[in-house]
Amino acid sequence: MVNTSGGYSAFSLQEALELRASQDVIPYAGGTDLMVGKHRDADYLFLSRVPELRQITEDAGYVRIGAAVTFSEALASPLVPQLMKEAVSGIAAPAIRNAGTFGGNLANGSPKADSVLVEVASDAKLRLVSRSGERTMDVDGFCLGRGRTALRSDELIAEVLMPKQSPDCCFYEKVGGRSALAISRVSFAGIFDTQDGRISNIAAAFGAVADTVLRFRQIEAMLIGRTIEEARALRDSYVAAYAEQLVLTRGRVSAEYRRAVCLNLLNAFLSQCGL
Amino acid sequence: MDRLQEIRFVLNGKEASYTGSAADRLLDVLREQFRCTGVKCGCREGECGACAVLIDGLLRNSCCVAMGAVEGTSIVTIEGYRETARFAVLDRAFAQLSAVQCGFCTPGMILAAEALLSAHPHPTEEEIREGLSGNLCRCTGYNAIVNAVKSAAEEGEGLW
Amino acid sequence: MDTISQSVVKKDHGPKISGRSIYVADYPSEGVLCGRLLHSRLARARVLRVVVPELPEGYYYVDARDVPGDNNVNIVLDDMPVFCRDTVEYIGEAIGMLCGPDEKLVERLRDECRVEYEELEPVTDLRAATEAFFSYSYGHGDVDRAFAEADRVYDEEFETGYQEQAYIEPQGMMAEPEEDGRMYVHGSAQCVYYIHNALTRVLGCGPDGVRVYQDVTGGAFGGKEDFPSILGCQVAVAAHSTGKPVRCVLDRREDMECTSKRHPSICRYRAAVKGNRVTALDIDVVFDAGAYSTLSAVVLQRGIIAAPGVYNIPNVRVRGRALKTNTVPCGAYRGFGAPQTFFAVEMLMEHIARDLGLDALAFREANLVRQGDRTSTNGVYHFPVPLPAMIDEIDRACSYRKKRLEYAAEQSGRWRRGIGISLDYHGAGFTGSGERDIIKAVAKLHKYRDGTVEILASNGEIGQGVRTTFPKIVARELGLPLDRVFFCHPDTARVPDSGPTVASRSLMVVGELLRRAAIRLKAEWVNGEEQEVEEHYREPEFQLPFSLDRFEGDAYPTYAWAVTAIELEVDTWTGNAKVLGAYADFDVGTPIDLNVVTGQMEGGLLQGIGYSSVEKMDHDAAGRIRSNSFSDYLIPTAKDVPNLKCMLHVEEYPEGPYGAKGAGELPLVGVPAAYLAAMEQALGGRGLRHVPFTAEDVIGALAKEEG
Repeated sequence: MVNTSGGYSAFSLQEALELRASQDVIPYAGGTDLMVGKHRDADYLFLSRVPELRQITEDAGYVRIGAAVTFSEALASPLVPQLMKEAVSGIAAPAIRNAGTFGGNLANGSPKADSVLVEVASDAKLRLVSRSGERTMDVDGFCLGRGRTALRSDELIAEVLMPKQSPDCCFYEKVGGRSALAISRVSFAGIFDTQDGRISNIAAAFGAVADTVLRFRQIEAMLIGRTIEEARALRDSYVAAYAEQLVLTRGRVSAEYRRAVCLNLLNAFLSQCGL
Repeated sequence: MDRLQEIRFVLNGKEASYTGSAADRLLDVLREQFRCTGVKCGCREGECGACAVLIDGLLRNSCCVAMGAVEGTSIVTIEGYRETARFAVLDRAFAQLSAVQCGFCTPGMILAAEALLSAHPHPTEEEIREGLSGNLCRCTGYNAIVNAVKSAAEEGEGLW
Repeated sequence: MDTISQSVVKKDHGPKISGRSIYVADYPSEGVLCGRLLHSRLARARVLRVVVPELPEGYYYVDARDVPGDNNVNIVLDDMPVFCRDTVEYIGEAIGMLCGPDEKLVERLRDECRVEYEELEPVTDLRAATEAFFSYSYGHGDVDRAFAEADRVYDEEFETGYQEQAYIEPQGMMAEPEEDGRMYVHGSAQCVYYIHNALTRVLGCGPDGVRVYQDVTGGAFGGKEDFPSILGCQVAVAAHSTGKPVRCVLDRREDMECTSKRHPSICRYRAAVKGNRVTALDIDVVFDAGAYSTLSAVVLQRGIIAAPGVYNIPNVRVRGRALKTNTVPCGAYRGFGAPQTFFAVEMLMEHIARDLGLDALAFREANLVRQGDRTSTNGVYHFPVPLPAMIDEIDRACSYRKKRLEYAAEQSGRWRRGIGISLDYHGAGFTGSGERDIIKAVAKLHKYRDGTVEILASNGEIGQGVRTTFPKIVARELGLPLDRVFFCHPDTARVPDSGPTVASRSLMVVGELLRRAAIRLKAEWVNGEEQEVEEHYREPEFQLPFSLDRFEGDAYPTYAWAVTAIELEVDTWTGNAKVLGAYADFDVGTPIDLNVVTGQMEGGLLQGIGYSSVEKMDHDAAGRIRSNSFSDYLIPTAKDVPNLKCMLHVEEYPEGPYGAKGAGELPLVGVPAAYLAAMEQALGGRGLRHVPFTAEDVIGALAKEEG
């Protein structure tokens, strides 16, 4: 007897997009999140053998990480930025990193996704594809909170575009309940760069503390274009602006704890930047 | 572009196929259909590592793998691994240090050790702890296990 | 060290490491019904009706109406029902069980069952609880006078939380009706005769009507002492009702939410101090028993007996209560009762010393008990108390005194360090005269014609090594190679009742029975004949009778001792703490197998570190436990600790085999106080009074510092 329930396997991106458009399927890359929940009546669309989704490539502006690339594969790639490697090396444990993917981390829509945090801090983009075309969007804005994303029902995430940059300073801290197999309780990624003595980028992203990864560009703007001296003078009001904006939710830990740790990490980041 | 008909894979070196749902868990299928009961179920959520197997040489939690994803892969469980020379080395090291207590985490732990030693034939203690970090053990405090893996790496020089 | 201490390859090593061992979930499922429990969703309610969906052929629903005998599980009292009576008393209480061949369908049918409740007001807050299942008090001396004459008086309250045993194999039992009408029940368990006795009552049959076998058991730590009796009765009722084999293996969330764990506690200590001596302790111990009494009596007894710690306090008054709340019933967990009170008394000593401006260790040493002193219950410490020597051994191993001074200096920056020490004991074996009056252990040796010898005893291998250590003892006395002596998992149809696998008693008590049996067998040995010898427990002659009514006499014949030091580093940015070193010295008498004992010590030490730090579980006001998975209830991974340093200090116990004492419980007991003392030092000496002390607590404490 041949049972035909439970899923489809795609062997090319075109096949995958056809299935995605024509069937009611849940894209399945690594399975580490999907298999925890109960999707008893769902058909999966298995993507792990779609070559277009398994590559890490680069062009002039971006390192392009395929959606079905696993965290372990990224760690082994010379192309993947160090900050991203730092983040994914702290995800769960080897068996999970061997399965979990960049696309899955995004599509799961969790603010605790460690790779998404770095993508938001890095101004990464996503290439979303469907049978009818493709679009590119900022990662910041893709996740809408509580498992919802901007992905349309006929679309697949094709790749993550990490801008090529070599900033003056990168900062990453994952705060979990233990050293491995830990879901982030607070996570923070910061990127700092100067050009001609003036701050050209000071990105600060906070993970696991609200419905989505948080980044406050209007606060960052306070320091953009400033000299280090000027920024030092503004540091207190800069931190105070975050303190006001960081309205956090409680989860496994209290909102007060999250807020205190966010501010500690922000301060540590600023100090590391020399501010 | 076919609907999955029959899922084919290699299990412990032998051709195998599955005709049930592609959404079924590898863990359940290994235990029920293939009677690989050395693959243990501790949490069914990828949080304990008791169900760890090797898929194409990589450590994976079989509770978090749907059958559709194993098509074309080669799976090794403790039932296959126990026939190898590498297992014999780990077996001796674990025996000498009494690193097995209740035994429930052990098959998964052994496969995690295999994956670790494949990647790092001469691991530091830190690398060992990282390699075993997804496999919970409540009995030992991990000392004996970590020391046994260290000892296996030395005794099994050249095997990995 | 005695040659018996030399490690051997454990008898269960091969089958376990190769995945060949059969745990209860591993039996083929053909012909076996899968059972799934229908749990209460309310902490307290009258169950008006259970609307069961229409069941397909071969599917069954069973509940209290199907119990052929008495719907009470015999544990200590008999208040826990197999399936709920008119009311449910906690979230997770079993209302009934759905059974059928297909697991997924059984789960779906179970989820479709609709329970109509009349909600009743629950008591979920321990501080609001008033109904005591057990209330004890004892004391000696003139406490009031000592307080009146004290230089200083202290009054502190200490709190501890739940701890989940977190064995990696979830609870599971299976019942199979046999052709002769007997019910065969087997599974993951510590105490086959507890289950056996509970079953005869529930099934309304004689002792021959049931047979209980312990399957290979994937960790227990006390958690499989009482619950397997409950689950065993549930599957047996289902098997009796359906006439088919029924197996129920809990899923992890169900197991964490609905099965017993360590009692949360609130301990209030008042101390009178004169000079550098504690002259009186007035102690009030409250344990959260949960909704049914289960094992709370024995947990509370041990807790209050240990309440004055390892100190010679001339005037003591102790009151202890196990209070009912509408929460999951708490039961046994490694150390049962003692970790809570040892935590309190050790932190109190730490705080008093600091207030007096004394070194915390020197202050403890000034108050220590010595051999010949009276115990808290007016028994006697009959044997040497090696704590002073052990303190020196620990100090040499980790430079405790030096680091203690070093870390006392003001610290700034991201990381702050501290080191703490604690002293404790484990009273070996059952409390009081339990071995003599209740357990009355019997153990047998059966010699086959070929000269191999089988050990017949009811103690179960749960990872602690009895399948190896028992045969080592017998083989040694008989002068046989170890492979000629074997010990299988116990089956009540074959083995006598040598008591449960609890309280670190197996090796010390039953191991000694086996040693004596082996001596007799050797004397009576006839080649080529089948022979059997049987030994019965005898209370040691020196032991002073213990009265449970007055808490007077020798609560334990002897004590295992521990000195534990924890060194840690706190991250002031995140509140997370990193254990830099865990050092412990244990006197468990002669180790019957060095590796086995060391493994027990290291495992217990790490469980203690978890209990003190990351293992946080509580319930909300409605009585629901939300940290019910391994991603919410965190236990340490291999990456969370450095190699643990355990040492053994051997004071031989003449009544234990080759000088062995109880071991398994000891290593956990002292950890919370050592951990929190280290934390207290790292955080600059503020008075901390609860465990687990989490990252949130650290950040909270630091915020107070700034505020």
